[in-house]
Amino acid sequence: MVLLNVDGIECRYGSVNVLEDVSLSVKGGDFVGILGPNGSGKTTLLKSISRVLKPHKGSILLNEADIYSLKSIDVAKQLAVVPQDTSIGFNFAALDIVLMGRNPHMKRLQMESEKDMAVARKVMNLTNIWHFAERPINELSGGEKQRVIIARALAQEPKILLLDEPLTHLDIVNQLEIMDLVKELCVKEKLLILAVFHDLNLAARYCNAAIMLKKGKIFSAGSLTEVLTSKNIKSVFNVDAIVTKHLVTNSVFVVPLSPQKSSPPKKCSIHLICGAGTGTALMKILLDEGYNVTAGVLNVLDTDFETAEFLKIPVTTEAPFSPITEKTHNANLAMISDASTVVLTSVPFGDGNMQNLEAALAALKRGIPTFVIEEVPIERRDFTGGKAKALLAELKRKGAEFVKDQNELLSLLNVSVEKLKIAKKERDRLLDHLKPEEVPKETKKRGKGEKR
Amino acid sequence: MSTDKVESTFLRRTSKWKLILLLLVLALIITVIVSLGLGSTSVPVQDILSIIGKHIPFLDRFIDSSSVSSASEAIVLEARLPRIIAGVLIGAALAAAGVLYQGVFKNPMADSYVLGVSAGAAVGASAAILAGAGFVFFELRLIQVAAFIGALSTMFLVYNLGRVGSRVPVTTLLLCGIAVNFFMFAVVGILEIIAANRLHDIVFWLMGGYSNVYWQDIWAILPFIVIGIVVAFFYVRDLNLLAMGEETAHHLGVNVERSKQILLVLASLITAAAVSVCGLIGFVGLMIPHLTRLVIGPDHRILLPTSTIIGAIFLVLCDDLARVLSTFFATMSTRDWPVGIITMLFGAPFFVFLLKKKKQSYAT
Repeated sequence: MVLLNVDGIECRYGSVNVLEDVSLSVKGGDFVGILGPNGSGKTTLLKSISRVLKPHKGSILLNEADIYSLKSIDVAKQLAVVPQDTSIGFNFAALDIVLMGRNPHMKRLQMESEKDMAVARKVMNLTNIWHFAERPINELSGGEKQRVIIARALAQEPKILLLDEPLTHLDIVNQLEIMDLVKELCVKEKLLILAVFHDLNLAARYCNAAIMLKKGKIFSAGSLTEVLTSKNIKSVFNVDAIVTKHLVTNSVFVVPLSPQKSSPPKKCSIHLICGAGTGTALMKILLDEGYNVTAGVLNVLDTDFETAEFLKIPVTTEAPFSPITEKTHNANLAMISDASTVVLTSVPFGDGNMQNLEAALAALKRGIPTFVIEEVPIERRDFTGGKAKALLAELKRKGAEFVKDQNELLSLLNVSVEKLKIAKKERDRLLDHLKPEEVPKETKKRGKGEKR
Repeated sequence: MSTDKVESTFLRRTSKWKLILLLLVLALIITVIVSLGLGSTSVPVQDILSIIGKHIPFLDRFIDSSSVSSASEAIVLEARLPRIIAGVLIGAALAAAGVLYQGVFKNPMADSYVLGVSAGAAVGASAAILAGAGFVFFELRLIQVAAFIGALSTMFLVYNLGRVGSRVPVTTLLLCGIAVNFFMFAVVGILEIIAANRLHDIVFWLMGGYSNVYWQDIWAILPFIVIGIVVAFFYVRDLNLLAMGEETAHHLGVNVERSKQILLVLASLITAAAVSVCGLIGFVGLMIPHLTRLVIGPDHRILLPTSTIIGAIFLVLCDDLARVLSTFFATMSTRDWPVGIITMLFGAPFFVFLLKKKKQSYAT
């Protein structure tokens, strides 16, 4: 089985260090993802392993032999590279290009043997490109070209495959086909795969180990689940991300959230009455807009509850799958009284969460502006035999603002915030207006008094 | 079943290539024989065959050469044969060097003079003409020796200027070649200014021609050209891989820097040898590889040998034309027409015609 040891390498372009003290030890059967933001040294690491950029310090050992002391042709028998860019000068046929992968196995002046042809045909069938074997390379699409290049690397029959963002030109089906193929080779033929990925979910789906690079140094290395955590993603990519297990693929699944916008805090708090995932998107948006967000009552394990946990939003909670008790209802009312606005999402209502609807009504009675999002008509989400519908109608009568979706809500909220601002300014102006009238009076009086 | 067809066509390529080469060699032989008859005195083909046959061991006893006059024999063997053999060698050399340079530089504008070989040879030759061309050095004329030395030293100058440490980036090399070329031609210009009554000789040398070639010239350049092309043939697959980009070639097991060095030195040696005899013959080194690629495809394994033979045929034909035109215009000038003018005059329009016709497949 092939072994690759990278031992404390340091790479420089001119005087700029692009890799510093990078070490890793991997073997056949490993599928290692190299992750990191742009400019973190991912490609440089692949280049130094493929002998393009000799490290200034440290060593790279292929089966315990220094890779830089081996002959090019001997390395090419064991190590193949799928580069990022795939421009080809002369107009060779696709099969010609794939047959070039046989070069390390051929002697000078030797023509391709039937065995070489058989290998080429096999890898071209695997990559699903045999049907255009005779077509000139420059007449192929970007994705087809990329598959030709991958086939050429496989024709080398390597033990190690280095992939530098191999999927950039491929559509989603081709991406999965190629990665499934690479994964199969990794598992069955014990190939060592080192691949640079930009898509963390693709990495998560195929890799069993990963290295996360930050500014040329290894920030984290180990098994995929150790490396791909929301904490690491936050520190390396500066992006909040939810990392969960995907239900279908059973692989780690990363949902990046857009980078935190630094909109000025509005010092205005909004209480969300939601549940069953109807508030998830809104929580993030409202936080980004600078509102203080609270929510309740939510059952523990509810999607909205998990989102709130992740976003560190204060929530009034109820035990999983339990109806709301009087106690939590009161706690929720207490939370609502601190809020300046209440938003009720299109949550389905059953006997278990009717209190949430009553809480909205209570908020309205206390004079807190209440918005109702009606994305789904109440008839379709009322499981209380009309009680919820009646309450919602009462909300409308009492002056709750009904909106059709999130966007309308946001524009209304912004308007009302603007209005609040104007009102505050107006009040301040009035106060200012009042003050100067009072102050001169006093000075006058004083002046008079002094004169006297 | 079409897939099997693809496989067998590719595997049978070798025999197809051999057939192409065989036909081209035949074409070359026919060209040579026909060319031997052309000129101010025409010699019939059967006479040429008897004259040649007479000089081939074993064959000579079956040939009755009594009908051939000794004058024709002298014309064919002493005047025309060296000139035609020189044409074969020089045409082959320039075309082969062009293939090598275009492959290494991955640049369609590269020709056999890209590293300043032509300019260096021009400086050497011009200086030799000024110094007095009558001087003979090991039976070789001073012009030839000076051109050869000028060509090689310029090539090494460009190579060392373009070198970055142990690596030779092709772009730097290309630019250094262009710069040195301009510089050297400035020197040629100065030499032309001070040449006075020898200016005519320099101008004619620069036009390129080999009408007064001797056997010893041919023996002098033969080893460089033959060995150069044969050794280069060992590196044809490296050229294919270099066309994929140097990094890719490296990943596919090519020792890129070494292959590049060897190929550049070989190409320069071949060109220098050719230029030392013929002066500056344009078009062959640039266009013959292109022309061949249009017809035969980009694979250097077949491109190099076919270009070499086509280059040889092309130059011999151009020289025939030069010879015929010289006899037509003999009343106006006693000079032979330089073949360099013919290659450009007739080669360029033919190439444009072919390019237009096959434009689609050549668009990259």
